[in-house]
Amino acid sequence: MSAGKTSAVLEARNISKSYGGVRALKDVTFTAHQGKVNVLVGENGAGKSTLMKILSGSEQPTSGEILLDGEPVVLASPREAMKRGIGIIHQELSLFPNLSIAENMFAGRELRRGGRFVDSGAQRRRTREVLKRLGQDRLDPGTLVGDLPIGQQQLVEIGRALLEDVRVLIMDEPTSALSNHEVDVLFGVMADLRAQDVTVIYISHKLDEFRRIGDWVTVFRDGSLVAHESMDSTDTGWIVRQMVGRDPDSLYVRNSSPVGDLLLEARGLTAPGFHDVSLAVRKGEVVGIYGLMGAGRTELMECLMGMRRASAGEVLLRGKPEPKGTVQARMAGGLALVPEDRQRDGLVQTMSVRDNILLATVARFTRAGLLTGGAEQRTADAKVRELAIKSPGLAATVTALSGGNQQKVVLARALLTEPVVLLLDEPTRGIDVGAKAQIAALMADLAAQGFGVLFISSELAEVMAMADRVLVMARGRITAEFTAQTVTEEALVTASASESVLEGQQ
Amino acid sequence: MTDTHVAAPAKTAAPPPDAPRNQALARAALLLLRGRTLVVLVLLILIFSAISSEYLTQSNLILMTKHVAINAILAIGVTFVILTGGIDLSVGSIAGLASMVSGGLLFKGLNVPGGTVFFSVAVVILIGIVVGALVGAVNGVLITRFKVAPFIATLGMLYVARGLAQLHSNGGTYPDLAGSAARGNEGFHFIGVDSLLGIPVAVWIMVLVAVAAIVVTTRTPFGRRIFAVGGNERAAVLSGIRVNRIKIAVYVISGACAALAGLLLTSELGAAYPDTATTYELNAIAAAVLGGTALAGGRGTIIGTVMGAFVIGFLSDGLVLVGVSTFWQSVVKGAVIVFAVITEQAQQRLQSGLTKRTA
Amino acid sequence: MFKKLLIVATAASLLTLTACGGGDDSSDNSGTAATPAASKLIVIITPSPDNVFFKAEQDAASAQAKKLGYETLVLSHDDDPTKQSQEVDTAISRKAAAIILDNAGADASVTAIQRAKDAGIPTFLVDREINKTGVAVAQIVSNNAQGAGLGGQEFAKLMGNKGEYAELTGKPTDTNAGVRSQGYHGVLDQFPDLKMVAQQSANWDQAEALSKTQTILQAHPNIKGIIAGNDTMALGAWAAVQAAKKDIVVVGFDGSPDVVASILKDGIKATVLQPASKISEMAVDQADAYIKAGGKTDQPEKQSVDCVLVNPDNAKSVTDFAVAS
Repeated sequence: MSAGKTSAVLEARNISKSYGGVRALKDVTFTAHQGKVNVLVGENGAGKSTLMKILSGSEQPTSGEILLDGEPVVLASPREAMKRGIGIIHQELSLFPNLSIAENMFAGRELRRGGRFVDSGAQRRRTREVLKRLGQDRLDPGTLVGDLPIGQQQLVEIGRALLEDVRVLIMDEPTSALSNHEVDVLFGVMADLRAQDVTVIYISHKLDEFRRIGDWVTVFRDGSLVAHESMDSTDTGWIVRQMVGRDPDSLYVRNSSPVGDLLLEARGLTAPGFHDVSLAVRKGEVVGIYGLMGAGRTELMECLMGMRRASAGEVLLRGKPEPKGTVQARMAGGLALVPEDRQRDGLVQTMSVRDNILLATVARFTRAGLLTGGAEQRTADAKVRELAIKSPGLAATVTALSGGNQQKVVLARALLTEPVVLLLDEPTRGIDVGAKAQIAALMADLAAQGFGVLFISSELAEVMAMADRVLVMARGRITAEFTAQTVTEEALVTASASESVLEGQQ
Repeated sequence: MTDTHVAAPAKTAAPPPDAPRNQALARAALLLLRGRTLVVLVLLILIFSAISSEYLTQSNLILMTKHVAINAILAIGVTFVILTGGIDLSVGSIAGLASMVSGGLLFKGLNVPGGTVFFSVAVVILIGIVVGALVGAVNGVLITRFKVAPFIATLGMLYVARGLAQLHSNGGTYPDLAGSAARGNEGFHFIGVDSLLGIPVAVWIMVLVAVAAIVVTTRTPFGRRIFAVGGNERAAVLSGIRVNRIKIAVYVISGACAALAGLLLTSELGAAYPDTATTYELNAIAAAVLGGTALAGGRGTIIGTVMGAFVIGFLSDGLVLVGVSTFWQSVVKGAVIVFAVITEQAQQRLQSGLTKRTA
Repeated sequence: MFKKLLIVATAASLLTLTACGGGDDSSDNSGTAATPAASKLIVIITPSPDNVFFKAEQDAASAQAKKLGYETLVLSHDDDPTKQSQEVDTAISRKAAAIILDNAGADASVTAIQRAKDAGIPTFLVDREINKTGVAVAQIVSNNAQGAGLGGQEFAKLMGNKGEYAELTGKPTDTNAGVRSQGYHGVLDQFPDLKMVAQQSANWDQAEALSKTQTILQAHPNIKGIIAGNDTMALGAWAAVQAAKKDIVVVGFDGSPDVVASILKDGIKATVLQPASKISEMAVDQADAYIKAGGKTDQPEKQSVDCVLVNPDNAKSVTDFAVAS
């Protein structure tokens, strides 16, 4: 995996990009090395995605030039970039779940027979070839994409790009939704592509992951390229220092508050997706649930919150059973949930930052039944400051915020309900290192104030660093429990992966 | 994840000093698009008053506003429903049913064992509105408890309510709603025919309904929850909002508004017939859409809807006033509605473009 | 290959079997139904009874048929030719003895009536004609042209043969809307001082007539008269006139009880009564004679019945679309 002698296939020279008066990229010169995995890291807003949009033709630079094989090129549109062999896979999948794998692969560029009719046979043959290249020979091209686990959907997306004979494949955080096993498969595919002399540009937040696959690492901070090194000559600490401009040791704050009374208890809880789950969260405690996707973690959280009905078992809040099982009752009992998929379950995209923050507690800000704008403004403003939410203003629509800040908006809403136990489903998914550290610090802080925290994570390092106690979930059951002192990576992986998720779902 | 946010100043009241001029232009265009319903209305008034000197007279403006009132009240009700992401196709039929129920009570009273009872006009109006609210509640329950898609549930109700209106009189008309002193039910013409301070009572009622609706949507927790349900139902559930209750409530509001509009129409006509307000639901939905209410839910304003109703009403009346044929009236109205939706989307694009730039 | 053939053959024979079974049932049915060959059902199809005119038409036909010992099935097509076609099919499948029809369109109704004829069911048209002869047994209509002439003359007289007026016309797709308008103008256009300043369709609808009249009165404040193509529009126009507190002559067409009542109260000035009840009774009588004669009639196909002018002089004697003599 040595960087060795390489040649530049795609180069960006002195690229600057301004939106209005704001400079998103400042004089960036970046080189993608041929047949290598080029990793781009940096906090959200550092400029990685902007550069990728320019390299894939969906945005034009304000100044600077792009060189392909040493020749200056103008990439006026994503179609044009594709024609020149540059493909991009976005973080959010753009597949049609109601169509088959083959139909998805050829969506918008169907193979024709007789000029008019779709040649399904040829499409299926080509799809099978591509799937084979991706190491997925067992997959039937006729399978509906919606029936595939997210990891295989990701592979279908890659397959779409491979059909076009890509030379440069840009991947924007492809692993953020994947389980460990799925990541392994993906990395295997990337290694194969590299072996076929395909150049990969890979954006990621996951330090432990990209170190395994990357050949070159490029670090962005505040719109500038701050470092470009071969992976071999760096270590994790160095990368994090480049990214955040400070020492990584301070990244995760561990909770160390004394543990008190029982706040949340589940006894024999059962619902579709998980079975006979018992757990307890005490005052001042941060409890992590580690497990693969599809292990029933999200279902468990939703059931605790009252969004799913339990078919058996009970939930006790501060020692008292809460039998109603509605969101309102659980909220009144002191639970609040920050969901995994904030776009789908967390944010009201049509509403402002302020209204999103206040949504769950809006009834408090009334006088004679009418909302009092001043109190709303003050409360929302206080939360924005407290959680350091970066936004163009309280009245801006929430979709104008970056991922990490959107997550904080959902968190702010949950905190305003004054919960005693905060449920966090993958709180750090898809957000950058700096924001992760803030969320970890916040969790520790909440515990210190006497809250209980129950969170889900599929990142080993994270769950080990942040949790006082780790529960492991696999196939709908709690399979192991560790304290911070006894937990090891190996034990976690063993307990979580009795069978991989991919096989578990088939 | 948009990479431009961090570098941005946290506050963006004014564009940065080095902002290019086309951004200022974009802002101006956005302002124009936001106020497009008003712009269209002003244009309509200018065009029609150039063609006919009778258009821009005080009496014609009052008359046109009175015509607008009925559609505006229907449209306000429908807007509540659309804001939650639903649709109510039954409002025209509900107006007809309320008209027949109230008309019947005024014309022939209520048969009870031992004779016929007549209610005062106020009670009759109240009963009419309650009937509308109840039909709305049935819509709401069908949609929430029985999970029927709003389009289907209210389409069904469109037929059911119209059929009930026809059954009420066996298809006939209640021709005389004046009531009599002996029965103690005189004065129904007050809401549809009379004026207060030179303005028709129907217009006052529209103003009251509109103000109440504006306060509810913008200044109450209930209103905020309506927008949340329409914007993202799952997020609303997670925020502890009783989504089903909100949905039933908006259909009740829509039904009550429809009934009120039906009663105004009936009062003005002085007669109740089962076909009252047939196809009015389309005008109401058109007004809401013209006013910028997104059919997907979560976005829209009451004032926009009222403006939309004004555009439709001022346009239709103007076309009649200058003597355009019925066929062309339909063509022009349809074209204006489609145009409005096009500009709505242009606004959304421009708006998101600008937010990204300033963010 | 052989296996496939076998499957196909089995499936086909199964299909035939079930089809045969169904066939047996239906032939049994037709057998029993055919025995009382002259069924005693008369199907009456009219536009929506929302309009009292059609209601009177329905009621009179139904009453007369019952008097003559028939069962009746009363349907409404709401001026929708498709619905009318389905209702004719109903009549065919019920094996009606005759259909009394106020049709939903002069051209659009022809095929449905032909279909009934082919099934051996005679159709007697009332109130509206169709654009084809030899399909229906009879087309009995009120003489709209003659009636409109009467209405036009009365309107001109009430106006003093001069001044501005407006006309509200019916649904543009309805033949009678055109016939009546032409009839009015045949008279009114002869007076040079009578000036039509506005003409709008209110689609036979009361609320639409109200709203459009209000707007027309805005545009033309000097209007002295409004002539409407039917009585519901006249009522709508009258409500607008009353609200505007103006002294305007309103004349309608149909002779509906509501307008007759208004005439008696010195509201609407005149209307033209179509003898709806009489026409319906005539149609049923002729149907009865036709059935009894085994499919023969001694009446011409096209028959027209004259309309009667209703004004304050004779309004008292009008009930249910008939003038007591």
